[in-house]
Amino acid sequence: MKAKKFVLLFLVVISTALYSCADELDFNQVDNYNPTPTYEAGIFYLEIPEDLINSTNTSNFDQQFRFDAFSSEAFASRVLEGVVTYEVENTTSKAFDILVEFLNAEDEVLDTESLRMNAAPSAVSMVEISYGPAGRSIDIIKSLSKIKITAENLGDNSSTSTVQNAKIKLRSSGAFRVQLKK
Amino acid sequence: MRFSKALSFLALWLCISMHGQNKQLLYDFTDIPQALMVNPAAEVDFKWYAGLPAMSGLSFQAGSSGFSAFDLFANDGLSFGDKVQERLLDVLTVRDELSGTYQFELLNVGFRGRHTNMFYSFGIYNEGDAIGYWFKDYAHLLIEGNANKLNRRFDLSDFKTRGEIVNVFHFGVNKQVSRALTLGARAKLYSSILDFNSTGNEGVLVNRRGNNNLISTNFNADLELRTSGVQALKDANDEGTIGNAIFKRGFFGGNLGLGFDLGFSYKLNDQTMVTGSLLDIGFIYHSNSVENYTIKGEFYSEGTEAIFPNILTNPDDGFWTNIVDDLESLVAYEKNNDSYITFRPTKLNGSLRYNWGEQSLSGVDCNCGPNVNTSNRSLKYRNGVGGQIYMIMRPRGPQAAITAFYTRRIGSFMALKASYSLDKFSPNNIGLGLNLQIGPVNMYFLADNLLAYKNVVNSRYQSFQLGLNIISWGKK
Repeated sequence: MKAKKFVLLFLVVISTALYSCADELDFNQVDNYNPTPTYEAGIFYLEIPEDLINSTNTSNFDQQFRFDAFSSEAFASRVLEGVVTYEVENTTSKAFDILVEFLNAEDEVLDTESLRMNAAPSAVSMVEISYGPAGRSIDIIKSLSKIKITAENLGDNSSTSTVQNAKIKLRSSGAFRVQLKK
Repeated sequence: MRFSKALSFLALWLCISMHGQNKQLLYDFTDIPQALMVNPAAEVDFKWYAGLPAMSGLSFQAGSSGFSAFDLFANDGLSFGDKVQERLLDVLTVRDELSGTYQFELLNVGFRGRHTNMFYSFGIYNEGDAIGYWFKDYAHLLIEGNANKLNRRFDLSDFKTRGEIVNVFHFGVNKQVSRALTLGARAKLYSSILDFNSTGNEGVLVNRRGNNNLISTNFNADLELRTSGVQALKDANDEGTIGNAIFKRGFFGGNLGLGFDLGFSYKLNDQTMVTGSLLDIGFIYHSNSVENYTIKGEFYSEGTEAIFPNILTNPDDGFWTNIVDDLESLVAYEKNNDSYITFRPTKLNGSLRYNWGEQSLSGVDCNCGPNVNTSNRSLKYRNGVGGQIYMIMRPRGPQAAITAFYTRRIGSFMALKASYSLDKFSPNNIGLGLNLQIGPVNMYFLADNLLAYKNVVNSRYQSFQLGLNIISWGKK
């Protein structure tokens, strides 16, 4: 009799426990999920020492980079927006105008940014340029194939800075938000 | 393509649903023949038993220590992205895992030897076992990115996973050494069908202020994924012989290994027993259909550079393609067919049990043969209570569980076991086991974490075992 009660109790307990419910799940939520991480890296760095400036007669220094990273299919088809940051540091005795030009594969200018640096002592100057909905067209970035930098000496070719190893430096980085699913 | 999808799904399923199974209900439940599989020294009193092929020992366990399907996929109107952020990225650690195991017996037979203190058992079972730890830094990098995280080290060792499907051929010996002590051992031959593992990864990705530029990126990687059997099964699928290939690899045509189990049962006194077992102390040597993938090297970049006057003599220095070329040459992706060894996930079980109450026969009068009136069944106490410990070796170290249990025998036809377990998956895991003996037919059903059945999709852990055997206690 006692055994029967025990069995009955066991069956009640296990029936109750195994009375299984399952709330509705919606796995289609994954289809609408598209993470948009932001990735950041250095882009280019330009450095011109004052002694080189003084040893040449030219007032313009230019350099063109081939830069296909942003126009590659993997990046261009996913990029949504971004910010390019420039930092200019001038410890020479001359003022400089720096012109950054973004070119496409056909050497057409897509975008320009002019940066002015006074002669030393001048503070480090930082400029942020937005691309995407809140700034310039993101298509500039998607079509970017070359970067041309021109540094124009607005001063002389003889004076010397009081700073040792005086240089003009242009640093840059980019932070771009991309969608993982195209 | 269909095979790739199927394999991907299988791998995902293995990673998501499987866990090294703690069989706390089966352990020391000596009315069930399969108790010998978790302790070769289990005190059994059968004359012989035979499992019903493919039905004698079926077990499945799924566990996730950090989240449930409900946490992510509930139809609750919340943004899926917010749920990923709040319930995965913000809370999971590298010790959280998705893991589990399944097992089914193809053959399981046991018989008492000429010397009645010896019991032998042998058989074949198929087992799948896998674990995937939360790849925390990869997830953060993939979903959030690395912007505004200077000096944040994304740890590439966060990717740790392993899994396998294997047939196990075993032969066990159980010997009652004395009235108090029973010892047992089981030899195992493993025939691996499929294996993948990536557990020794090292590396880091970090952005810092550059020496020259605003940001420097350092990528240092020593990553490896080793596989065996995948290519063979893929080829077989292309040729339409996948079934044959699985069968062949499972029956000595794949990669082989050796192992053993050890166990003991010791009566401290007439009513108190202590037991222990070590399972799957073994290895598999993989040399057949091996494909390994490695990414190894170090790369440092601050972007393209034009440093005058050097750039005037090396005008190509500033080309972005040079950076890409550097990356590809410095951080090499390679594939090889080098043999490797994997060690089985060794498990440790232990228990202490106190028995009391009226003693009764453990099984029914089966009258299994002609002219049989009574059997050699031993007398067993009606009640038992005790505690168990379980531990399994995992890529991030041992993983443990403790269990309290109560067993009750009802007449000679039924035995019950209730358990309460504590592990990383559930703080309130209540399990119930039922063993029925109807004539010579033995049936058992054991289920874990029963409270979670209230909403099964919100459960982080599910486990069950069931089986069907024929048992004879023989004649006196």
